[in-house]
Amino acid sequence: MPEVTYREAVRDALARAMREDERVFLMGEDIAEMGGSMAVTQGLLEEFGPKRVRNTPISEMAIVGSGIGAAMQGLRPVVEIMYEDFLTLSMEQLVNQAAKHRTMSGGQLSVPLTIRTQGGAGWSPGAQHAQQLEAWFVHVPGLKVVFASTPEDVRGLLWSAIYDENPVVFFEHRTLYPIKGEIPDELEPIPLGKARIHREGTDVSVIATGRLVHEALAAADEAEKDGISVEVVDPRTLQPLDEEAIIASVVKTTRAVTAHEAVTRGGFGAELTAVIQHGAFDYLDAPIERVGAKFAPLPFAPVMEEHVIPHAADVLAAIKRTVARA
Amino acid sequence: MAVEVKLPRLGQGMEAGTIVRWLKSEGDAVAKGEALFELDTDKVTQEVEAEAEGVLLKIVVSEGEVNVGTTVGVIGAGDEDVTELLTTAQEGNGAAPAEAPQAEGDETAEKEAEEESKPDAPSDVTGDVEPQGEVEPQRDAEQPAQAVADPDSPTPRASGERVKASPLARRIARERGIDLGTLTGSGPEGRVVAEDVEQAASTPATAPSTVAAPSAAPGEVEVVQLTSVRKTIARRLTEAWEAPVFQLTVIADASELIATRERLVDLMREGEVKPTVNDVLTRIVASALMRHRPVNAQFVEGEIHRHPTASVGIAVATANGLVVPVVRDAQTKSIQEIAGVRADLVERSRTSKLQLADLEGGTFTISNLGMYGIDQFIAVLNPPQVAILAVGAIEDRPLVVEGELVIAPVLTMTLTCDHRAIDGSEGAEFLQTVKAYVETPALAL
Repeated sequence: MPEVTYREAVRDALARAMREDERVFLMGEDIAEMGGSMAVTQGLLEEFGPKRVRNTPISEMAIVGSGIGAAMQGLRPVVEIMYEDFLTLSMEQLVNQAAKHRTMSGGQLSVPLTIRTQGGAGWSPGAQHAQQLEAWFVHVPGLKVVFASTPEDVRGLLWSAIYDENPVVFFEHRTLYPIKGEIPDELEPIPLGKARIHREGTDVSVIATGRLVHEALAAADEAEKDGISVEVVDPRTLQPLDEEAIIASVVKTTRAVTAHEAVTRGGFGAELTAVIQHGAFDYLDAPIERVGAKFAPLPFAPVMEEHVIPHAADVLAAIKRTVARA
Repeated sequence: MAVEVKLPRLGQGMEAGTIVRWLKSEGDAVAKGEALFELDTDKVTQEVEAEAEGVLLKIVVSEGEVNVGTTVGVIGAGDEDVTELLTTAQEGNGAAPAEAPQAEGDETAEKEAEEESKPDAPSDVTGDVEPQGEVEPQRDAEQPAQAVADPDSPTPRASGERVKASPLARRIARERGIDLGTLTGSGPEGRVVAEDVEQAASTPATAPSTVAAPSAAPGEVEVVQLTSVRKTIARRLTEAWEAPVFQLTVIADASELIATRERLVDLMREGEVKPTVNDVLTRIVASALMRHRPVNAQFVEGEIHRHPTASVGIAVATANGLVVPVVRDAQTKSIQEIAGVRADLVERSRTSKLQLADLEGGTFTISNLGMYGIDQFIAVLNPPQVAILAVGAIEDRPLVVEGELVIAPVLTMTLTCDHRAIDGSEGAEFLQTVKAYVETPALAL
């Protein structure tokens, strides 16, 4: 399997886990016959049958709640929340139940539950179907948070999420499903908490997640034409965070830009910025720049949506601000 | 039970250090192994870790130069009375504590000045579609004049005014003893950035520092303050001058040496460092040292310490002065490995990122001025080592080979020996081996 799409890579991780391990099963809205609203689970019902690929009622609270119960009973459920905007409906189960049981029971219980979801703008989905809410979950001890940006990463990380003893909120990006990438025939699990350096550079580090990894790489190509050498780092796991790799990168380059599609205010970039300023304080030669969406509910009109969400040009502008001269 | 924090001896020969700043404040909890303060020694700047856990009850010396063993702080339980301990400690410290209140006062004043210049936080941005990174201009509304100062005639800063500089620029300035207030910042809003400090650091090095400095204005004597690295160079080389030394010079046909290096460059894989002639020499010399133990030695307090492995120091010129980082166990490394180690050491030398450990334990030194076109020269010993090899440029010269006059690339090497440890014959035998290895590098393997 030399080149696959991000969508196929997610499906491959699910199928392999289900083939190898009876405990792994899927639940979600329209994931069986319809194959999921993003067609990720297509064909899995045929291979694994209705007991292991289960449609659910339209109740996110019930989906996550039954996932928690199954996980505590020893299964390894992977539940799908159709849009991450709908995670808001399952917050009680996620924040007050899934995240807490392992510590509150003194380790007698664990919740090895994976909550797959997707979101992201760029296709005019409107304000309620395109948010990027990953930062909300990073704030909750007891949850792990993954945001994969390439086919290879999404497969290896999903595998690790399924086999983690803790609940993992696993973010996929709507516009990344069709992108292609080469992945090895053998599935290599990617440990949670390990960043990936996509491109090495010496002048500025861009710490980017999700779709913005690709925008950052495009911006880095542009910057190179102006003689600016950009390093692009994707943390891949937001919690636990590979602080060491991020700090090492900024210590080397002395300048940093954080980039994500979520709104800047209170976004994950704020956490990255705090980690960087503390760990690399004496190495910073410019204020840390943050790139994210403007602080507004996402407009439906395509031109307005384009204006609100960040693109490669925004990353490039931030890169240039860090190396600016008076 | 309260414990005194004493200035540690971080390496051989360290007698004093300069506390740059404390990383913990009085009243902070400290864990064992946590960084307490930054210490500038004559070689590197390093963080000093706490050896006890508890609360930092007292900072006795907040900054400045202190001798090894001086009590600089106290760690204990939160409610402990440390007056008695401090009295004893201060008697032991002599005059040092007197500086402390002064330094603390300055720090407070600086903080206050900073507070005053802060603008009010934006009061309400909820619902705003605010563009990124545009809050900056507000920050300096009060002092636009300085921000647009003519770079050719830097506006003198009012005394006590905080210099705007990046944290990196501040650190480099601190390490190299440069006053930020004398620099003109080229960053946004006149901020001093790393490049400005590095330029300032390299300027004095290129200008002749003698009294008759032609670059100084007529009638003006340029006074160059010694940085701590420069002070160390001065002290150690003066010490070295006391040793009774003799020199031996040899020339060698470098054809094979060059060919070996070229072969290695051909075999280089992606990501590997290109080996230099000096990397090949480092390897060859390491083998020769293994064969001639008297040369691979240190003269320490009336004893000769002959070492089992060759740790070869390589002299590196930096903007801040000469440093000699060490390639450890060079006799067990391939030339390609030596090139990798050397590239890392040189890079870190030039960016002031060397650790004390990188500089210690050398058993021999190579100083190469070949790249400057110097034919031959005499190097000064690098104590406690007993020998140093000065390597000149490889130049095409007439050479008599088996009665025929030929033109060959020739290398001139001069060995300086400490006669207290090495006799003439021992030095000559070593140099003979080095010459043979240079002419047939395979012999070194």
